[in-house]
Amino acid sequence: MRKTFTSGNMAVAEGALTAGLKFYAGYPITPSSEIMEYLAEKLPQHGGVVIQMEDEIGSINAIIGASWAGFKAMTATSGPGFSLMAEAMGLAVITETPIVVVNVMRAGPSTGVPTKTSQSDVLQARWFAHGDYLIPCYAPWSVQEAYDLTIKAFNTAELLRTPVILLSDAVIAHLWEPLMIYEPGEVEVIGRKIPIDKQRAKFPYKPDSDLVPPMPILGHGYKTIIESLTHNERGFYAPMNTEYKALVKRLILKILKRINYIYEQETRYCDDAEVLLVSYGSTARSVYLATVDYRRKGLKIGFLRLKTLWPLNEEKILNCSRARKIIVIENNTGKIYFDMDRIFKDRDVYSSPVLSLELPTPREVSEAIEPWL
Amino acid sequence: MAVTQYIHPLDKHLRLERIPTLYCPGCGLGIGLASMLRALDSRIKEGSIDPDKVFWVGGIGCSARMVFYVNYDSAHVIHGRAIPFAIGAVLANPELKAIVVGGDGDIAGIGGNHLLHAARRNVDLIVVMFTNFVYAMTGGQVAPTTPRGVKTTTTPRGNPEYPMNAVKLVTSLNANYVARASITTPHYIEQYFYKALGKKGFRFIEVVSACPEVYGRHIGLRNPVEMYNELKKRVKHKPKASIEEAEIDWDKGIVTGEFVDRDNPSYIEILRGEQSEI
Amino acid sequence: MHYPESTQLNLLRRTSSKFTVTVIVDRCKECGICIAVCPTKVLSISNMINKHGYRPPEPLNIDKCIGCKLCEYNCPDFAIFVEKVEQP
Repeated sequence: MRKTFTSGNMAVAEGALTAGLKFYAGYPITPSSEIMEYLAEKLPQHGGVVIQMEDEIGSINAIIGASWAGFKAMTATSGPGFSLMAEAMGLAVITETPIVVVNVMRAGPSTGVPTKTSQSDVLQARWFAHGDYLIPCYAPWSVQEAYDLTIKAFNTAELLRTPVILLSDAVIAHLWEPLMIYEPGEVEVIGRKIPIDKQRAKFPYKPDSDLVPPMPILGHGYKTIIESLTHNERGFYAPMNTEYKALVKRLILKILKRINYIYEQETRYCDDAEVLLVSYGSTARSVYLATVDYRRKGLKIGFLRLKTLWPLNEEKILNCSRARKIIVIENNTGKIYFDMDRIFKDRDVYSSPVLSLELPTPREVSEAIEPWL
Repeated sequence: MAVTQYIHPLDKHLRLERIPTLYCPGCGLGIGLASMLRALDSRIKEGSIDPDKVFWVGGIGCSARMVFYVNYDSAHVIHGRAIPFAIGAVLANPELKAIVVGGDGDIAGIGGNHLLHAARRNVDLIVVMFTNFVYAMTGGQVAPTTPRGVKTTTTPRGNPEYPMNAVKLVTSLNANYVARASITTPHYIEQYFYKALGKKGFRFIEVVSACPEVYGRHIGLRNPVEMYNELKKRVKHKPKASIEEAEIDWDKGIVTGEFVDRDNPSYIEILRGEQSEI
Repeated sequence: MHYPESTQLNLLRRTSSKFTVTVIVDRCKECGICIAVCPTKVLSISNMINKHGYRPPEPLNIDKCIGCKLCEYNCPDFAIFVEKVEQP
């Protein structure tokens, strides 16, 4: 383990290197560009390849191709580029390709304010491509966590043969903090499950008991079909109801089956809390400071921070506190609120969004939640 | 029951359980595919290509579907994105021989930007673009190569746009090999594809194809043989044509031949430091 | 639909002293290109109907075959091929 002092963007790049990244394709976009710049310097030293593509569509398709050729692959972007990646995200889902896509959120819609922060893409990360699917999504709140969750994103992608999204934001991206970097062997790095023999490789979409099929690597003589059409276990087009249902359900179930691995949250002061503040990502930093302040004043306020945004572990969220009043604070117009309202059915759930180009201050957080206290 | 034992000389290259193809009677794509497979067969027999390393990539469209008829590693990806997908795969494993197939809509229409930049990078890929002058799979809409004036389902008063000459376009960039052939001269497709398989860098072959079912309907050549003969009449083979002569015009003629054949350092060679240009 | 009586492997094969022409019946889509490109008019349309409803060509005038393989090279469906007869 070694200690450094670095930014959130570089922590993402370092996390990817620790996780075994070998292929990066990207397109410059504020505020994510430092990830590619840093990797352009470092990744070739680790035996990997960095290519700047002609657009974000090219970037995500290239990393899907590289992943099938056996490399751990990643791209990073921000809002406009993330939107362009939607279609290929669906390709990664249906072909069950492990990739990591980093979206450093910035203010939108459209070009918005490229240099300023936002948390407006949290539902986009859940619902943005057509079709039915569930993509795991992590949201770090610090430089260290940007590093840790990047490693976790790679592990999740490889374990479940799925694309994974890391939702950073402009604040985390350019925040400088101390970072502990693991040496090889100090952190779990999950490798890819490959077919045991040629016969098994003939069925690149036939799941094992964990619902995840072993993934053949191109160039091994397996004659694999990578198929974007709805397909059977062999990879042949299957426009029949039974096969369609089986495939789409499995793609979601394989994620939900491992929700205890994927889902992480952090709770503070929850045991005796009468009011629970729910937040995630950079905004949670201010919400936490506000919570500490309320506690000092004697108010029984609890703090729940979502590290995994999708899928949400509803049972864990519901049981983290007995507070009757739930307040959701996020830097958008209120998005995760809808899920919290659903999960905490019979409790009072309020949305206190703080729509701000800067990181909301603890004072702004307090002002936003006070009407509900 | 499909025929499941090798009879035809190309059967070992096909996924026989998926033959016959879904292509319409008289579709030129099968002629092009067969020619490509004969060239690949020769390369494999002479030992210069390992069949396990051959990787076919196609986007969306009739032509792109070739990838799931061939008995190789193959990817049938999203519309227009076969080239970046293949770039990722060959950069991760430079031993792969990536062959991108697609129609003019897939490669030069929706995927046009990727085509430009792949050629500019001289990245190690073969792109075989089948030009049939129409969007066939979706039922006959105007394509980037549709000649002016042709009435399609989306240009009911005649195509007002000028068609694209992809050979001239790619030649203006940094490709190592650019050629055009027609399905009416399958031996040239075979010869050019054979040559392309032996080269590095970006290789582009435009195969002018016949679509009697959809394009033929638009221009009054519904009969496959008539369509084939009309195309054949218009093809002018010029072995040593200059790029200025590389016309593709239904009225003035379709010039086939090799237009670029050079060995500039390929993207992978430069990355590996084998050939330094910088 | 009319299915031919024979087995799954349905071939139309004619041999001259020099060449054998084989038609894989159920792959043919009756486009007629092979018949049109044959320079010596070896092929003509048969009376047979394959399992997809198409009438494959038949190498009736096999003795005229010069082995140019134009039919094989121009067939879009891998349905016809020419072999040289091994001379004893």
